[in-house]
Amino acid sequence: MVSAYTQEHLYHHPWDRVTTAAWRKFTDPDTAAVLSHNVDVHTLDRRLDPNSGCLQAVRSITVRSPPLPFLLRRILGQDAVVCHCVESTVVDARGRSIEIVVRNVSLRGLLEVEERSTYRPHPDRPDGWTAFRQETSIRCKPLSALATVAEKVEQRCAERFQKNSVKGREVVERIYKYLEAETAAAISC
Amino acid sequence: MGSNKTSRGGGATASPCARLRAAYHDCFNRWYSEKFSKGQWDKEECVAEWDKYRACLAQHLEDKHLRRILLEAEDSPYFVKDDASSPADRDGTTHQ
Repeated sequence: MVSAYTQEHLYHHPWDRVTTAAWRKFTDPDTAAVLSHNVDVHTLDRRLDPNSGCLQAVRSITVRSPPLPFLLRRILGQDAVVCHCVESTVVDARGRSIEIVVRNVSLRGLLEVEERSTYRPHPDRPDGWTAFRQETSIRCKPLSALATVAEKVEQRCAERFQKNSVKGREVVERIYKYLEAETAAAISC
Repeated sequence: MGSNKTSRGGGATASPCARLRAAYHDCFNRWYSEKFSKGQWDKEECVAEWDKYRACLAQHLEDKHLRRILLEAEDSPYFVKDDASSPADRDGTTHQ
């Protein structure tokens, strides 16, 4: 059973600024207030090819849910759910494209989530707009006796990821505004 | 909610590498926004910060469960490799 969905968004901002904001999405201190989960990010590897202008990076993203409701705490035997993900990013500075793939590492026996995102200059206004596209697929591992439960879990996960994706976009917009204000302040000094 | 608001650079205040991570992430964000994304990709920067941060991570991998994550990541078709092939080529499947 696979749930897959695609989302697109148009940022009315140039590519370099949007991708700068996107890199900071998880590490911005105010993000904790917007996304309901605590997020811990580590960069595991990074490579730059100075000839082609290609940057590659691998990051680990650890998401801790808010404290679980009492009943779930009893069932799971822990206060929160911790999920480790790996994010691989390839940035082509010359071609102005960035591709990000996030997959979960933990809970893989139960759930396989893959989220592929791209940011590219929008063809109608390549210097002013950025097109964002995200394809998410969620696969629940078959549990023969619990097939309907698996379906429901998958559906709830899809809804939750969709909601957080929207919040993620709001975070990127907000960080962009902050960067713009910073630049304006620097110019006026 | 918000229990780690005092931290910068990505989360848990109790992380032993938090300061080095913050230094690296700050340097990276600056380099990316001012140079790399604007077309200056020919020079690698933040190397010193990266080396210190990476050394700290290598020392503390067990504590942070990162060893498991890193091993899993290395098996992934999307992991950064020296040949710098695109993820789609390595994966062999397409998502269309």
